[in-house]
Amino acid sequence: MASIITDAFTHDHHACDHLLAAAEKSLSSGDWEVIAQASEALISAVNHHFDVEEQTLFPRLASIYRVASNPIEVMCSEHAQMRALLGDLGEAVAQRDRDTCQGVLETFHFLTQQHNSKEEIVLYPMADGALRDQATEIAGLVARES
Amino acid sequence: MLNTAGLSLDQAPPIRVPFAFFLAAPFFVLLAGVLLLWQGEAVLLTRWSPSALALTHLIALGFLTQVMLGALFQMLPVLIGARVPGATWIASLVQGCLILGTLALVAGLQWGGTVRLSLGAGALALGLTLFMGAAGVALARGRGAPRTLQAMRLALFGLLMTLLLGVLLVAGLLGVPIGGLTAWVDLHLGWALLGWVGMLILGVGYQVVPMFHVTPAYPAWLARSAAWLILSGLLIATAFTLMGWSGAAVWGFGPAVGVLAVFAVVTLDRQRRRVRPRIDVTLLHWWSAMLSALLAALVWLFGGRPELIGVLVLIGVGLGLPSGMLFKIMPFLSWFHLQHRQVAARRFDVRLPHMQAFIPERSARVQFGLHLGALSALTSAAIWPDKTWSAGLMALGALMLMGAAALLSRLQFDCYGRYLEIGRRL
Repeated sequence: MASIITDAFTHDHHACDHLLAAAEKSLSSGDWEVIAQASEALISAVNHHFDVEEQTLFPRLASIYRVASNPIEVMCSEHAQMRALLGDLGEAVAQRDRDTCQGVLETFHFLTQQHNSKEEIVLYPMADGALRDQATEIAGLVARES
Repeated sequence: MLNTAGLSLDQAPPIRVPFAFFLAAPFFVLLAGVLLLWQGEAVLLTRWSPSALALTHLIALGFLTQVMLGALFQMLPVLIGARVPGATWIASLVQGCLILGTLALVAGLQWGGTVRLSLGAGALALGLTLFMGAAGVALARGRGAPRTLQAMRLALFGLLMTLLLGVLLVAGLLGVPIGGLTAWVDLHLGWALLGWVGMLILGVGYQVVPMFHVTPAYPAWLARSAAWLILSGLLIATAFTLMGWSGAAVWGFGPAVGVLAVFAVVTLDRQRRRVRPRIDVTLLHWWSAMLSALLAALVWLFGGRPELIGVLVLIGVGLGLPSGMLFKIMPFLSWFHLQHRQVAARRFDVRLPHMQAFIPERSARVQFGLHLGALSALTSAAIWPDKTWSAGLMALGALMLMGAAALLSRLQFDCYGRYLEIGRRL
């Protein structure tokens, strides 16, 4: 079975992992300009990924494949959790609170890994099966120029 | 039909299920420390002393198996998307049997006695069979990363063989005539350390090493063949032991030892290539455990003292690796469960602390230092058991072991206390 969606979205997960690592690394520099930039890059990449999933991938999948609507709901509620954590991150950066930044990034990382593996094992393969003729178009939305 | 069960919110068991196992485990290490202080010389002089046997089971069953079962009740649903049926009450029953069985067996090994030994073997057999049944159902239905699933299934088979051989050995201690008892002890040990613990480390490692520190995945050639090599080596050793060729049986362990040594090297290499640069205490525990495993494999290969291998494997890997994992698992579970309760109760006015507020990294580092101190002292004492200073080193190691266990316990209870306190506000 083709895995265009699985590949593209998994690749984007990894890209976000690297941005998180870069944000963590920036903390040791102690330069808050650099830290703010790295956090901003992470926040916008993750939000972009969520937007593509919530506005395009998930609704299209649900319209074809009824059984997917329950897991999709779970995925969206986890997105909400992660968005809240990113909000905490932004706040901690604004307050220049290094320990909180580190703790939030650790929590965010842990939650994300769990969430991603569920998407990668179950939801994306389901989407590849259901959305065969739109796969390339949807994959293009999440592709990053990096 | 695609399996979507792994995506359901109520998949994970209540937090008290894994936490009950985690909170109980360090107490067995404290007992092990007391035993070492009291009988240290006998323990390190020969692995056949009653105290050495008692100590081995305090750590292997009391700490290591306790933590592993707790983690499996939690992780099976997450890793492979399969619920353990009736997790809440089965877990309590399993844990009750495990605690009772460990204490009775350890007392029986230390002081002898038909009642103690049979109670120990009986309770352990009951508890572990229950666990294997429940986990077996989940694993049979499970989906997810195939290599992890395969290693987990084989690990469960390793646990079954360990248990069967253990029951056989207890029967031998109680007077049933068994030819070549020492060879059966070695086989029991082989299945326990390589088949159960080793295989589980493999299965968990494939998932968590890349996940925790963002490393490249394990190479396919290793993941494809590792579990099968371990299994075939152990089966060969079992066949040779059955035929009475105990000398040849030892070499059946070779493939398993070799595979785990390669796994340790590959793990260290993956971690060297990690994307997250921070050196946290979990990583430190992984490094010291993988180096201990490598050293143990070398000592085994060159025919070194089995007591030294015992220290490296039991303390270095068996105590260290689970401790390092607990420092991540417990804070995350606390945060995760609170987060769900917060969403369910819509109490967004209650602010949740992040993971490191549940177990501070600095205290965890002190715990690692104590662990490393205990490991070095006991390793040195096991290398030179007859030097004049080795008794002192032994005692120092025992005290540091107890210190590390006490601090681990303290940090665990603080974490749980914090969870309960915030939970009350939700």
